[in-house]
Amino acid sequence: MEPIIHIENVEKHFTGVHALKGVSLDILKGEVVVIIGPSGSGKSTLLRCINRLEEYDKGQIVVDGISLNNAANINAVRTEVGMVFQSFNLFPHLSVKDNIMLAQRVVRKRDRAEAEKVTQELLIKVGIPEKANAFPSQLSGGQQQRVAIARALAMNPKIMLFDEPTSALDPEMIQEVLDVMLDLAREGMTMVVVSHEMGFARAAAHRAILMDGGLIVEEAPPDILFSKPTQERTRAFLSKVL
Amino acid sequence: MEKQEPPPPIVLDPTLVHEPVTTTRPNQRIDPWWALVAAIVGTIIFLATTIPDPYRRILVFVQDGIGVSLMVTVVSFVIVLVGGLVGGLGRLSKNWLIHGIATLYVEIIRGIPALVQLFFWYFSFPSIVQGLGQVLNIPALQNYLANPVGMAILGLSFCYSAYMSEVYRAGIQSIAKGQMEAARSLGMNYVQSMRYVILPQAVRVILPPVGNEFISLLKDSSLVSVVAVADLTRRGREFMSSTFTPVETWTMIALLYLTLTLFSARIVTWIERKTRMER
Repeated sequence: MEPIIHIENVEKHFTGVHALKGVSLDILKGEVVVIIGPSGSGKSTLLRCINRLEEYDKGQIVVDGISLNNAANINAVRTEVGMVFQSFNLFPHLSVKDNIMLAQRVVRKRDRAEAEKVTQELLIKVGIPEKANAFPSQLSGGQQQRVAIARALAMNPKIMLFDEPTSALDPEMIQEVLDVMLDLAREGMTMVVVSHEMGFARAAAHRAILMDGGLIVEEAPPDILFSKPTQERTRAFLSKVL
Repeated sequence: MEKQEPPPPIVLDPTLVHEPVTTTRPNQRIDPWWALVAAIVGTIIFLATTIPDPYRRILVFVQDGIGVSLMVTVVSFVIVLVGGLVGGLGRLSKNWLIHGIATLYVEIIRGIPALVQLFFWYFSFPSIVQGLGQVLNIPALQNYLANPVGMAILGLSFCYSAYMSEVYRAGIQSIAKGQMEAARSLGMNYVQSMRYVILPQAVRVILPPVGNEFISLLKDSSLVSVVAVADLTRRGREFMSSTFTPVETWTMIALLYLTLTLFSARIVTWIERKTRMER
């Protein structure tokens, strides 16, 4: 089967930092991949390269048959790739409903009635239909993140990227976000998740990947990676987070 | 800019822990500083009715100047709002040429006094055009004459757009990077992201300095009196030189400018309150 995300020898330099040192990774359609690793390991950078929020210096990334090496393709790719951020990044000047509707109207060119219908369905899906007219500042962190997921889903993406989606949340709100993500995984969404939520990884992920120092150190199904890691660095990292 | 509807009342879910929700905007009462505007206007009316000579005469004499000053200011300001946006986006451009041109413009214009710039547009620019017309043998250019009001508006707009560029730039930069990333990650292009996500937020941030620029421009519009525009200041000077009443004339002119600037400041405050965003 042709991978829906093909990453080949990708390298990325920030000023003074070699963030990615030649990462290769293929992700299949419907696969859920969790990436873990210490801070500064390059996991978020890799994720952000998949929709070209970061430009890489070398190698190539092909998403759903479209090469990201050509800058002219980026909006086409981004429409198909949803992204959820650690800090939610909801638009504070728009209501929940308008947050979810904006890109549907502007990018997908849906008419108002259709966009509203999609929005209402998604708000039911993420469990907060009653918040349609609230503003982001009036929501809890967990609710904001669920709106952010709905906003990304409204574009009918083929792939969802999650960049530490629960790291900024109070502990009691983490589960409500993970539940939404679990539902998505069950529906067969292709997901790449940077997160240390081992419970989620065990429950939903097909593969877990440990990154360190800009390289993929080890990859395996989560149960195996977490219980019988083969690499010393994986063991050292897991002993700190588990 | 799209007006933000006030959020409807929120049904609180008591099982969820979150910050208290305010459904009413703070400070809905009337801005007390309107009293100052009223006091200044009252003073003008008081002076004009109790001492009609010369105060009432001054008012009658300079009234068309008020219109000219306001017109020059408002037209310039509209141009400045657009020019500043273009300049500000240019300053933020990743294209080195656009960035370079915008930066050069801001740095040079900021470094030359507004009065000198007005002299340039009114006196030097027409000479240059006429000279060019002679070299190229185009009669229309040779006979070019500067329109005082046009040149005044051009000069003020060109000058103030440079300052406004920096206001826009700062406002756009004050919006968290994640906002642009979120917009772009949804497939919106740069222009769409700016228009629907960044600028509506930035405009709320820059309203106070933009209001400041307006008031500044209103006052600096008095400079156009030296390039043959019959604005409030010039009319004042004409009245003074024909009546030799410097104290009364400039007192009245100062009060009139104060009325305009204080009134503008209140309008800006009012707009700020109308567009305030819950954060």
